[in-house]
Amino acid sequence: MLNKEITKEDVIDSLKSVIDPEIGINIVDLGLIYNISINDDLIEIDMTLTTPGCPMHGSISDWVKRILELSFPEKKIIVNLVWEPVWTPEKMSEEARKQLGI
Amino acid sequence: MNEQISVAGIYSPPFKIVVKYFIAAIISFIIFNLMLVIDYKSISGHHFQPKILSINHILTLGFITMIIFGAMFQLVPVVLEVKLFSTILAEIQFWIYTFGVILLTYKFYYFSSNLSFVLPALLLSLAMMIFTINIVISMTKVKKWNITGSYLASALFWLLITALAGYLLSKNLDKPFIKINHLQYLKLHAITAFVGWVSMVVMGVSFKLIPMFTLSHGYKLTLAKWSFVLINIGLLGINWIMHYPDTGFYNLIFGVLIFSGIILYLIQIFIIFKKRIRKKLDIGLKFSAFAFIMMGFSLLLNFSFLFFNYESIKNLTLLYGFTVLVGYVSFLIVGQMYKIVPFLVWYHKYSSKVGLQQVPMLKDMFNEKLAEIQFYLMIAGLVLLVPSLMIEIEILVFISFLLFALSSFIFGYNMITIFRS
Repeated sequence: MLNKEITKEDVIDSLKSVIDPEIGINIVDLGLIYNISINDDLIEIDMTLTTPGCPMHGSISDWVKRILELSFPEKKIIVNLVWEPVWTPEKMSEEARKQLGI
Repeated sequence: MNEQISVAGIYSPPFKIVVKYFIAAIISFIIFNLMLVIDYKSISGHHFQPKILSINHILTLGFITMIIFGAMFQLVPVVLEVKLFSTILAEIQFWIYTFGVILLTYKFYYFSSNLSFVLPALLLSLAMMIFTINIVISMTKVKKWNITGSYLASALFWLLITALAGYLLSKNLDKPFIKINHLQYLKLHAITAFVGWVSMVVMGVSFKLIPMFTLSHGYKLTLAKWSFVLINIGLLGINWIMHYPDTGFYNLIFGVLIFSGIILYLIQIFIIFKKRIRKKLDIGLKFSAFAFIMMGFSLLLNFSFLFFNYESIKNLTLLYGFTVLVGYVSFLIVGQMYKIVPFLVWYHKYSSKVGLQQVPMLKDMFNEKLAEIQFYLMIAGLVLLVPSLMIEIEILVFISFLLFALSSFIFGYNMITIFRS
């Protein structure tokens, strides 16, 4: 019997536990995750940050890597930090907007 | 554009070195506020005397510049994506600088002491040169230049000019040699320090931090560029014409350039605030917003000096000094510290624990209610101080300073809470 197949939803659920400590909203609802691709032995994430040169630069993507490694130990994790397309507030979820009072 | 992530915080300097500068600055801020209470009589009496110079330098060197040094060690690497050239130089600079600040403020306080002005001025200039070298070498490695970098680079230039003018003044106090009126040099020292050094850093950094904290998007930084040009031309002009007699007209022109630059900056900041997504201002941003209002107010006050004769109002220089140094600069620094210090400590202590255990949010690392009280105490102190200084009622000046001192204790308490969390 094979292991249960990992879905994008499983990955998103894990990623929701990464919360921006300044804003208090998780990175999925902030719209920072651009793409999730799952292969046989690999999970690859494309993500951005709200501002280039943010002091969190490096750390948020490291947390993403760590959390996914813990959740899916059988997979290799690659996190790409991308700046295009540029993050805009429109990328936030309804939930995030509500929290920010927009 | 794509980049692979390797290790966290590749650009961040060691936590210890930044914290050292911050702690020294917080202590200086509390000492400054205590000195106001202790020496309220000499402050409310005459507006120009050595004790005031001492207290002023505890604030400007011990608090403001100390914070800027620490913050730049942290921010230059992350904002310009480059490693700090040397933490050892930053460490050496700290001790030379701190010793210089103590000696200088001691010498001003006990004006007749045997200590020469030249030694502390030399130490301070040396520390500032070490700082400049450290940051400039770091900046040479920058791949993507931005407007913040330009502001910071020009701020370094003006820091050195401030130090040079301060050094010449210190030599002159020991043995008068400056042929032109030395008060001109004093004015130059103050303008260059305040506009060229402090404000250029504040402005440059704010273009990065304010949008980050307020989540502002969709604005252009055109005004920021014009502001940069106007202020620098104005400062160069004032530094140049000061060496010639009868330059009132040119003074006015260069002064207007600086004023216009600062107004453009304030409009730019207003636009950024308008475009913010986080509508509710937290305590750090409340302090900052108030500071920007005071910056505009002090600009108006300064501008009106050109047209009105205020000789009838006593203590005006002092009043102006408090508006600028407490109302604008200190409010802004306190506000930004409520944002930066929790982040630094959090990053140091919790960053590696994300995903492994529950980590706090930044706003939970200090008592925000107390910070609000500090905010209103500082405003109350400032509002009470204005009429008290103008009509010279000593007891009211004393009460204003007590309010300041109380607020500085709260600030100290909150900062300790953050460091210990």
